Amino acid sequence: MAKLTIGCFSSLVGSMTLDFAVKLAEAAVKKGHEVDLWLSGNATMLGKTRQSNFRDYSYLAGTVEELIKTGKFQVTICEACGKARGIDKEDVFEGVKIHSMDWYLASAFSADRVFHIGGE
Amino acid sequence: MKLVVFVNEYKEPPILDRLKAEKFGIVFVQNGVYHTTLKKDGNSSPLLSKDAELYALSEDLESRGLSADKVDPKVKVINYEGLVDLIFNDYEKIIWL
Amino acid sequence: MAIKKFAFIVEKLPYKSETSRLALTHAIASQTVEIYLEDGDNVEPVIAFIGDGVLNMLKGQKALDIYGVTSLEMHIKNALLLDLRVLVCKEDLDRYGLTEDDIVMDAEEIGGELTTEVVPYEKIHQEMESADHLMFF
Repeated sequence: MAKLTIGCFSSLVGSMTLDFAVKLAEAAVKKGHEVDLWLSGNATMLGKTRQSNFRDYSYLAGTVEELIKTGKFQVTICEACGKARGIDKEDVFEGVKIHSMDWYLASAFSADRVFHIGGE
Repeated sequence: MKLVVFVNEYKEPPILDRLKAEKFGIVFVQNGVYHTTLKKDGNSSPLLSKDAELYALSEDLESRGLSADKVDPKVKVINYEGLVDLIFNDYEKIIWL
Repeated sequence: MAIKKFAFIVEKLPYKSETSRLALTHAIASQTVEIYLEDGDNVEPVIAFIGDGVLNMLKGQKALDIYGVTSLEMHIKNALLLDLRVLVCKEDLDRYGLTEDDIVMDAEEIGGELTTEVVPYEKIHQEMESADHLMFF
């Protein structure tokens, strides 16, 4: 089994790119792979607590929580990008980590594949 | 280099022509899937003439009401599971355009 | 013990979105990545501007004065100061009628020694080929 590091910068709501990243992560974990998901820029919103599950808006927190439980998936938000948006430790749901950008590079260092999804 | 490029919009990414690799793949995702099914003024998308292995993501076709049997025969339709295999088994580097 | 090369390729224009800035800040983060790695392991970054992305390199950006955000010009100078290799595609500069006089070529004013490399696209392609991982912005 291999490791995939995905970096995504797209927003939680207003774009479906983060949905793509989470679905890809889900498929990889189902196949037994390990996945690190790095969220930078507007993608940091995915870590936010108290997201409402409305059908007109992307809701990924539930899937991410299930993925975290597998032990094969880590989700980390960029500290500076989060703080700039008012997201700190107390604002993210359980299992979501917060690190500086070097964490992403370290994750990529040990990854078999890096799927970097830049912003829009 | 084994390079796979993800095209996510229904327009021709300007940089695509300059990317090259010994093994080159293009995966059409999100609005990129329209390249694989639509003809404009009777012409297929120029992206389908690239010297590359071509793939389209079935979930993004279906989300948009595009049926897999309308996809150009040069394009292989794959799902997310197939995409995971493609990334790990067939290519080394990935570009999201 | 390994050194892995990461190529940060910037194609997006600056300011309308934060993509190109994030390319610079992520590349600069390679300076501290060692804290997460085994002894002797490290990341060797290279930043390359291609296509419209070369416009990030223009001199005289006043984003800090006007919008209060650090300019791409300053980020690029920081990268040079930290000895990150910065490459820019010559064909794309030519396409916009730009020369070395128009773009950030050094960070002398803040004590940087490295200079920007204006190179043909083929050289950037080689950097992409030789990189262990690609990050395309």
